Amino acid sequence: MQDETGTDDLKHRLILIETMIAEGRRTTESWAWTFVVWGVAFYVAIAWSAFSGSALAWPFTMAIAVVITVGLASLKSSREAETTLGRAVGAVWIALGITMFLLFLSLGIGGKLKDPNMFGAIASGLLGMANAASALILRWKVQFGCAVIWWAAAVAGSFWTEKHAGIVFLAAIFFCQIAFGVYGMVQEGRAKSNRATAHA
Amino acid sequence: MPDLPELNPVIHGKLRLALLSLLTGVEAADFTWLREKTGSTDGNLGAQLAKLEEAGYVGVEKKFVRRKPRTIYRITRAGRQALTEYVQALKKLLGTAIDA
Repeated sequence: MQDETGTDDLKHRLILIETMIAEGRRTTESWAWTFVVWGVAFYVAIAWSAFSGSALAWPFTMAIAVVITVGLASLKSSREAETTLGRAVGAVWIALGITMFLLFLSLGIGGKLKDPNMFGAIASGLLGMANAASALILRWKVQFGCAVIWWAAAVAGSFWTEKHAGIVFLAAIFFCQIAFGVYGMVQEGRAKSNRATAHA
Repeated sequence: MPDLPELNPVIHGKLRLALLSLLTGVEAADFTWLREKTGSTDGNLGAQLAKLEEAGYVGVEKKFVRRKPRTIYRITRAGRQALTEYVQALKKLLGTAIDA
C-alpha cells in the first residue's frame, strides 16, 4: 500500500486526523440563551408575586421556564455533539435546578419561606456556587465575575433591609442572567462564524 | 530493511478517517453534526458510517426525539485502538519525512 501512497498523501492524512480531533474537542454547546430565558422568568415571577401576592407566581413561572428550556434544548441538541466538558457543565446546572426545586418547594409548603431576604440569599448563594463551578470548568473569568455578583447579593440579603437587598437581587439578575446571557450568545455566534471562515 | 506496516483499509478512506477522528474528540455525535463537520452527502455519510459500524469501530444508538428519528454515534474501544495503530503506522511509514 505504501508504494501507491505518496509521502504527501500520508502527511495530509496525519493533518486530517489532527484537525478533526481538534474540531471535535473544540465543539461547544450553545447554552447562553438559557441564562436569558431564566433571567426573564425570574423577573416575571418577581413582578407577578409583588403585584398579586399569588403563591403560584414562582412555581408556575419556574415550571414554564423548565418547559421552554427543555423544549428549545431538545430542538438544538440534534445538531450538536456531546463532549465531556459539556456534560460536566451540564451536571452543575442540572444539580442546581434539582436542589433549588426541592429546597424552595419544601420550604414553601412547610411555610418557612416567609422572609424574602432569606429566599434571595439562598437563591443567590446557590447561583453563585453554580456559576463559580461552571466558570472554573470552562476557565471563563466573565462567568466567575457573575459568581462574585451572586455571592455579593447573597451577603446583601443576609444583612441589608428587604428593599436594598431586593435592589441588589434585581441587579444581579440583570447582570448575571440577561446581560451575561446576551454576551454569551454574541461570543457563541462569533466562535461559530470564525469556525465557518476557517472551514471555507 | 525492516518490514513496513500495512495501513488498515477500513479507516484508510478519507471520510472514514475523518469520521473516526471527529468521534475521538467527542463523547457522542449526531448524524447531522457529522454531516456538517465533514460536508458529505447523507448517502455517502451513511454508507461510510455503516462500514465503520460493521467493523465494530463505532457504536450506533437510534432514538426518537419529538417523533423525529435521531441517530447517535460513538467511537468504540476497538475504533480508538484502530485509529491509534493507524497513526503509529503512518508515522512509521513517513519516518524522517514527518518533520520535512
